Amino acid sequence: MRQMKRLLDVYVALQALFALSWCFTDADPGPAVGSQSNGERFKIEGRAIVPGVKTQDWVSTARILVEGEEYVGFVKTDGSFAVNDVPSGSYVVEIVSPSFRFDPVRVDITSKGKMRARLVNYIKTSEVLRQPYPLQIRSSGPHTYFMKRETWGWTDFLMNPMVMMMVLPLLIIVLLPKVVNTNDPEMRKEMEQSMNMLNPNPELPDVSEFMTKLFSKGSSKAGGGNKGSRSVALKRR
Amino acid sequence: MAWLVVRLAISVSLFYTASAVFEDQVGKFDWRQQFIGKVRFALFDTHSQASKKLLVATDKNVFASLNSRTGDLFWRHVDKTGPEGHIDALLMYGQDAVVVAGNGRLLRSWETTVGGLKWETVLDTGSFQAAALVGVQDFVKYVAVLKKSAISLHDLSSGSQIWVENLPDSDTVQYQTIYSGGNGLVFVFGVVPNSHIVIVEYKIEDGEIMNKKSVEAAWMSSLESSCTVISSGILLCVDQITQSLYTLLLQSAEQTEMRQIHLQTLDLEVASGFQPVLTSTQPNPAQPPLSEFFLQLSPDHHILLQLKDGLIVPLRDFNPSYLAAFATSGERTVAAVMSPKNDTACSINLFSADTGRRHLDTTIIYHMDPNGGKPNRLYVHAFLKKDDSVGYRVMVQTEDLTLTFLQQPGRVVWMREEALADVVTMEMIDLPFTGTQAELEGEFGKKAAIQDGLLPMVLKRLSSQFILLQAWLAHLWKLFYDARKPRSSVKNEVNIDTLSRDEFNLQKMMVMVTASGKLFGIDSKSGTILWKQYLENIEPNSVFKLIVQRTTAHFPHPPQCTLLIKNKDTGLGNLYVFNPIFGKKSQISVPALPRPVLQTLLLPVIDQDYAKVLLLIDDQYKVTTFPSTKNILQQLQDTASSIFFYLVDSSQGKLSGFRLRKDLSTELIWEVVIPTEVQKIVAVKGKRANEHVHSQGRVMGDRSVLYKYLNPNLLAVITESTDTHHERSFVGIFLIDGVTGRIVHEAVQRKAKGPVHFVHSENWVVYVYWNSKFRRNEFSVLELFEGAELYNSTVFSSLDRPHPPQVLQQSYIFPAPISTLEATLTEKGITSRHLLVGLPSGNILSLPKMFLDPRRPEVVSEQSREENLIPYAPEMPIRDEWFINYNQTVSRVRGIHTAPSGLESTCLVVAYGLDIYQTRVFPSKQFDVLKDDYDYVLISSVLFGLFFATMISKRLAEVKLLNRAWR
Repeated sequence: MRQMKRLLDVYVALQALFALSWCFTDADPGPAVGSQSNGERFKIEGRAIVPGVKTQDWVSTARILVEGEEYVGFVKTDGSFAVNDVPSGSYVVEIVSPSFRFDPVRVDITSKGKMRARLVNYIKTSEVLRQPYPLQIRSSGPHTYFMKRETWGWTDFLMNPMVMMMVLPLLIIVLLPKVVNTNDPEMRKEMEQSMNMLNPNPELPDVSEFMTKLFSKGSSKAGGGNKGSRSVALKRR
Repeated sequence: MAWLVVRLAISVSLFYTASAVFEDQVGKFDWRQQFIGKVRFALFDTHSQASKKLLVATDKNVFASLNSRTGDLFWRHVDKTGPEGHIDALLMYGQDAVVVAGNGRLLRSWETTVGGLKWETVLDTGSFQAAALVGVQDFVKYVAVLKKSAISLHDLSSGSQIWVENLPDSDTVQYQTIYSGGNGLVFVFGVVPNSHIVIVEYKIEDGEIMNKKSVEAAWMSSLESSCTVISSGILLCVDQITQSLYTLLLQSAEQTEMRQIHLQTLDLEVASGFQPVLTSTQPNPAQPPLSEFFLQLSPDHHILLQLKDGLIVPLRDFNPSYLAAFATSGERTVAAVMSPKNDTACSINLFSADTGRRHLDTTIIYHMDPNGGKPNRLYVHAFLKKDDSVGYRVMVQTEDLTLTFLQQPGRVVWMREEALADVVTMEMIDLPFTGTQAELEGEFGKKAAIQDGLLPMVLKRLSSQFILLQAWLAHLWKLFYDARKPRSSVKNEVNIDTLSRDEFNLQKMMVMVTASGKLFGIDSKSGTILWKQYLENIEPNSVFKLIVQRTTAHFPHPPQCTLLIKNKDTGLGNLYVFNPIFGKKSQISVPALPRPVLQTLLLPVIDQDYAKVLLLIDDQYKVTTFPSTKNILQQLQDTASSIFFYLVDSSQGKLSGFRLRKDLSTELIWEVVIPTEVQKIVAVKGKRANEHVHSQGRVMGDRSVLYKYLNPNLLAVITESTDTHHERSFVGIFLIDGVTGRIVHEAVQRKAKGPVHFVHSENWVVYVYWNSKFRRNEFSVLELFEGAELYNSTVFSSLDRPHPPQVLQQSYIFPAPISTLEATLTEKGITSRHLLVGLPSGNILSLPKMFLDPRRPEVVSEQSREENLIPYAPEMPIRDEWFINYNQTVSRVRGIHTAPSGLESTCLVVAYGLDIYQTRVFPSKQFDVLKDDYDYVLISSVLFGLFFATMISKRLAEVKLLNRAWR
């Protein structure tokens, strides 16, 4: 589900960017790949935001990592940060915190100290999806480290396709004879006719076979169960 | 967009295969211990009486706040390693701590209650000399930082620079210390060695030089530790050669020479060859220091002196005394002195600083650990008691980096083993059996079955069952007994004598070797340190090699570990043999190693005491065996022709293979030279000796078998180019057969650079490098296969393998930086493998090896689906659920150790770096034990439900039958 959401986010971002690119034409081509500077050092600045959480609750455990542990910065009590003494080049800036997740950002610094931030894309590395600079990194929520235990409840049990498959035919077997007056000879004739219409070819695979196949695939769905159960009911009659 | 869809598909398909931690498993079988390293600065928060904060800065570039009541961390900040994160100074005022880091590059102020940064200022370059708080009119407002050629003053509340001034004549004068007494002036002291002292006075407001003078001091070479300022602005120096103290009034214009006071006049003498140390105290930076000071005359002789009316008066002589320190609480300053009591204990006493009188009932007895080092630092926390007397607590740091916090009358409040912040190597060792377990094992021994008849065996069986029953009852009784006791007293029961192997061999002894030369035995279940041993005369930070010669399986022989260490004095290798369960040094005589050892080799040859044989090859290719009994030598002679070993000389780029001759000399049989002008050998790894491979091949989609190339002698050699330009750099990998020297495979990654992390196991090598073209980390996997047929299925021989293996390779993007890499290991190798990736963020990622399979198809076919191959995607997924250590991050993870347990599904993992984290991983989930969440209630309710349903329906059927009979 989260994947879907992310997909959607990316899509929205793409759309937004498309709109943006109409307004601006990106003039500066960005720094040369991995260019080594003449020893000049620059400062990467930004702010980390965790919505709805007080800064003092998380700043003491957060760190700013630039390109692994190449350069390290710390978060101030107001959430802003600065990483000093970074030479020109292209870096992935990451805020690491054991409790909150932040998405990394790529920061490019030209040899003259011009900076820009963009989305990290490891596949199309030259693609530029601009991010604000100074960085504004918003946490996407707490880390979900834990898997959910499969808990057992009555609803799970009842909604289980297997159970549905058992219960429905049972209902049909028990209830149908009561609803329909089987003693009426006309009715019986009609039904026999419909039976023949439903099953015109006697060489069709047997229902039991169909069922086993269905089970062995293991991907039985509620709809399939319904279908199977109806045919069971009809066969029994 | 398309790859996103692929990723989505993969993550959905993997929902069932990936293992993860459940929330209720937290702390059940995992633990973490956090460390800080060797303390360089420690300050107690004396701001308020109730404060529990202890601020420390360490040599690991860690700045932390400890709870002084428990020793736990409030918070910790880990800076960059190396000189750029080095903490030069730590100052504290009120709630704020000021840290100078990176050789005076950064000035940071930390809010100590929250642990957040208040402000950070970048200073000009220049090597750092000193920093001091500067006060004006009883109020500390500024911090002054002295560099080699400049001094700057910064505001304490905002970090803004007030002024910066160049120091006069900084090319000839070495400015070293700084002093301010709260009178609006900052003094900077410099020295021209063996000539004169320079004193410069700066005005605080604008940095104007008020006065500059130079004073003759031909004896002076360095100001540090031999000079200090006492009383209201008097510079005091000590010199060993002239055996004198020198004083100088800072603010008098007329005194142009230092006044000499011979130590003889005070009946004192500095020990020969010892640089005397002066220690003074300035309780409030806005006020001048006290007129009392300590003079250390020899390593174990301190004296408390006082300057009174221009005269120096000895207040108290402490002979012998190891350590002395001042502490202040409120208006009262005290001195704590540690002096030896007897061989195993020291006593610490409190003296009032102004009179030298001993405070009554203030003795703290400090017991020295017989397996530890000597105390070398003393930090004192003084406080005022309710009756206005001074109480105190002390923190003692020893040579082996133990921090002990004591309070009167010698109670150890807490203890930290900071040597564990730097673990070099480790092993996990099975615990011994208990008596009952050994009895049971004995019953199934082969010998017993042959000797005894049927009846004795039955009797034995019954008796052992009875013993088991007894043990179980005792266990039940203990459980019952413990349940009645309060929780706290039940804990911490792990004891070295009660240690025994558990049912599934999940609890083991972790033997850890640290860089400082201290060995630890840690219980893997609870993390309790069960034994420790400090090895003196060890070169710190040298390479250690830990070898398990005999495991616990050979009762009654004790297990035996051997550590190869480097002696500090001789620089030669040395063997230290010990029992890994109890930590005791073994009495076995070890061979002397007169030459440096190049290589060690543990052979599967076993002597009559079941110890494996260790071969040590020295730089003249001579072989030393340990143990070297006749039996061993005989066995070695028989098997010599099949013993090969290799040596690596990375400086010459040479790999050479040797064979052992019958007379234990060696013979060169192959040599591979990798030219050092182009590339250098970075690492060489074989496979782990205790690794098992369960399946010989892989079943393909068409039901044929692809056999793995399982060469136990295969070495993976990683090279890096000497040219580091990002266009021309490359990483090379060679797979070389260690017996024949044949290069089995060779691969080069262009536009790549190190550091390379790699794992070599089974038939695969996984390595990570930095792609300098695309600026990303990439994983590459090499898998070797024999093909559809095995050449010789019974035995593998390197000498008889005519067909080269098929090599498959695939690379992937890894979207994060990497610190270390290891693979899981299980008892029989049936469980699927995972790679454990240590990330700089402190998380440990458990990545299924399934993702690193060079047979992942680009186009999904029926066959690949049958084989469960994941379609190829360039980017490796990282999911939060795959972090095995959830929020228990391991700072600066340097190594991951994996060990099999008695359960096939379970692999024990220890990650070490600055912290230590121990856990268990289940790469294929727990298939051999009932899960934690096994629903006993459901299964029993269903059973009972069915039971009652049959009862009821039986009854109903009877009634119905009866009714029908009546009809």
